[in-house]
Amino acid sequence: MYKCLLIFLVLFSSISAISKEKNDSLVAKELFEELRCLVCQNQSISESDAPLAKDLKLIIIEQLNEGKTKTEVKSFLVNKYGEFILFKPTFSLKNIFLWMSPIIFLIFGIFLTYRFYYFSSVNIQNSEKLTAFEKRKLKSILNKDVK
Amino acid sequence: MKKLYYYIPFICFCFLLVFFLKQLFEEQSPSELPSVLLNKKLPLIELEKLEGYHFMSYENLIFNDKPFLINVWSSWCGPCKIEHDNLMKLSKTYKVPIFGINYKDEIENAKNFIENYGNPFSIIGVDRKGKEVINLGVYGIPETFIIDSSGFIKYRHVGPILEYDMLNVILPILKNLEE
Repeated sequence: MYKCLLIFLVLFSSISAISKEKNDSLVAKELFEELRCLVCQNQSISESDAPLAKDLKLIIIEQLNEGKTKTEVKSFLVNKYGEFILFKPTFSLKNIFLWMSPIIFLIFGIFLTYRFYYFSSVNIQNSEKLTAFEKRKLKSILNKDVK
Repeated sequence: MKKLYYYIPFICFCFLLVFFLKQLFEEQSPSELPSVLLNKKLPLIELEKLEGYHFMSYENLIFNDKPFLINVWSSWCGPCKIEHDNLMKLSKTYKVPIFGINYKDEIENAKNFIENYGNPFSIIGVDRKGKEVINLGVYGIPETFIIDSSGFIKYRHVGPILEYDMLNVILPILKNLEE
């Protein structure tokens, strides 16, 4: 009975250790792709061959093995290198314009388009409403042109 | 009102023009990152000793009676050789204490470098794996930090210290901090 329990415990702990390792490596891979290499600034540390990118990868793996979460690792690196290290800026008050600008510009664009079409249709309608005097005048002008 | 409405594209164009011109003529290179550690206390860094030279421990770094420089260097780094003369001047002529962090280097090469080019460093610490300097936000060497006497980071210089940088940037900041 004890033997069975012992075998079960060993199996369970090794399975959970393997799954944790697998999970850590997935998180590490995600982080490698989300973080910018500060030497080759348009590459992620996953793509970069710069020595700094290699060091950062090692630090990420080390911190994940120590039990730190993805957010904790990210905030450690942001504290050292600033938000520039993140490809996706955080949704904070400082970055609010960056995040909201597409919506602001979309609303502004819709407003401008609406105004443009509204005014052009109003102008067409107004042009149709000629007074009797205007109609007479228009007719006489047109007649003059024909002559 | 209608006329003003027609000017909107032109106004937008002017804004963009000013924005791009500002970026174009800005003195600081966009690839040069401002340090997020400015005005923050020097983070904990644990270094090894370079045999035969005064060791740089964390206590050495945070307890000082005057501002000083931390220079991250290596014997394999070309720009470090370029700035070395200026580091010597800063140390010998202007009596500025410079603490050197030897980065990812072979011990023998580091010693040879100092013997051949002169030693501007009052104390030296070694970061063999290059992990400790990440705490300082270092992303390429040489990098130099100005630390005030209370252990706060006041300035970071990325790249070699040229004569212009030494005379117009480093020395004035040090003078300000001493006053």
